[in-house]
Amino acid sequence: MFKIIKYDFIRKYKLILIILIAAVFLNLLAIVKFSVQGGVMFLGLFPIAMILLYIVDIIKMYSDDLNKKSGYMLFMTSYSGYKIIVSKLITAILEAIAILLLYLIFILINSIYFSTTQGFDLNVNEIISAVNTILSGRLGFNLGHVFVFLLTVLVFATGFILTAYTSITIRKSIFSETKFGGVLSFIIFIALNWASSFSSSKLMSILPPYYDISGDLGQISATQLIIALLPIIILSVVESILMTLGSGYLLEKRINL
Amino acid sequence: MKELLDITNLTKKYYNKVALDDVTISFEKGKIYGLMGPNGSGKTTLMKVIIGLHKQTSGNVLINDNPLSYKTKCFVSYMPTENFLYESFKVKDIVKYYSDMYPDFRSDYAMEILKEINVDIEFRVSKLSSGLIGKLKVALALSRDTLIYLLDEPLNGVDVLARDAIMDLIVKSYNENKVFIISSHLVSETEKILDSVVFLKDGKVELCGDAEELRQQHGMSIENLYKEVYK
Repeated sequence: MFKIIKYDFIRKYKLILIILIAAVFLNLLAIVKFSVQGGVMFLGLFPIAMILLYIVDIIKMYSDDLNKKSGYMLFMTSYSGYKIIVSKLITAILEAIAILLLYLIFILINSIYFSTTQGFDLNVNEIISAVNTILSGRLGFNLGHVFVFLLTVLVFATGFILTAYTSITIRKSIFSETKFGGVLSFIIFIALNWASSFSSSKLMSILPPYYDISGDLGQISATQLIIALLPIIILSVVESILMTLGSGYLLEKRINL
Repeated sequence: MKELLDITNLTKKYYNKVALDDVTISFEKGKIYGLMGPNGSGKTTLMKVIIGLHKQTSGNVLINDNPLSYKTKCFVSYMPTENFLYESFKVKDIVKYYSDMYPDFRSDYAMEILKEINVDIEFRVSKLSSGLIGKLKVALALSRDTLIYLLDEPLNGVDVLARDAIMDLIVKSYNENKVFIISSHLVSETEKILDSVVFLKDGKVELCGDAEELRQQHGMSIENLYKEVYK
């Protein structure tokens, strides 16, 4: 599995390099042209652009393997369908983590730059104090809330990626002999999303309102928040497992490249 | 057991078109088979079903006594007729990829073959001519040490001198535990190395048997027999 992930990254290293160079160039341009406002603008727009690029890239990565002849390179090997789908998912998650780290690095570099050029005295004590403020919950949330938020994002992002991959897999297996592949994949994607939100709303209507999280976030602990979100998180995890198993089975038994 | 590949009642349909129609055939080890037929006769489809790139509509395929699955792919080395190699990779990266992905791949042997057939490993796949890509694909397929070799049109787009080199490579790779299945339009070029031939017509086995016996039985070369079958 590691080898599939390794070659997925090798195949896209040029794209990663181009995006990195372009991002550094745009950041410099924004600072030179608009000073601090330019830097802030860059940090605001960068995640939006990266999310869009990321979605296109991860879908293209999987779609190319199933729709282009280069996919033979992967499907002629004796990896099971399950290993292939899990490897693709891990690649997509690692790519998201790499983008998040890159964004944090940009924030750090810009902050250091502003502190030195604008005369801000950014000392370690102030940073520690700021973290303490967050931890103490005076801002209305704490690190626990941040963790719950990141966990929820990870669960739902995984669900989204798998929904996209399952749509493409269904199209190339069950409906491999149907025309208008791209449109069909999109229709399947919409149908899967509809089924997911339908099950969520059904689940919430069945479950009694066992935990009230309305009100100030600062008064709700991270544990309470995770308990409240638990049914939806579990449902999303179950859906992800089902989609992984379904896609793995179809890749192994029904694929027509 | 002599049969390495056993195909029973294999049918493959696309939309309403029947690409393979109830094909039953066995391939024995120690033989080089010629899979003959014009375009659309089902040669490529048959190979793609064996390697697992296409799923059959019905019928069974046994590879080394195992039913078709991802596990049987380790017994089969397939050279597709299309250019399927990653275009952004250099030839040496493709060799490294094969070495990583196939435990039976012999890197040194691949490098030796590539040198012999004049393929520069520093070249990027996107910069290679169709002839060089053809040679590279054959070298990669033959550098695996496995049981079944499926070569789909290995002489396509390759110059006359290189054709001889490729035929020599196939003969050099032959041993009594392996089976080679070669599809080709160039019957006269491949005929000399074939032990058996299978003629496919409209997805059905029209004629098959030992090459020498067929020559004697019909009193003509395989090339002329090909013309006779498909006229």
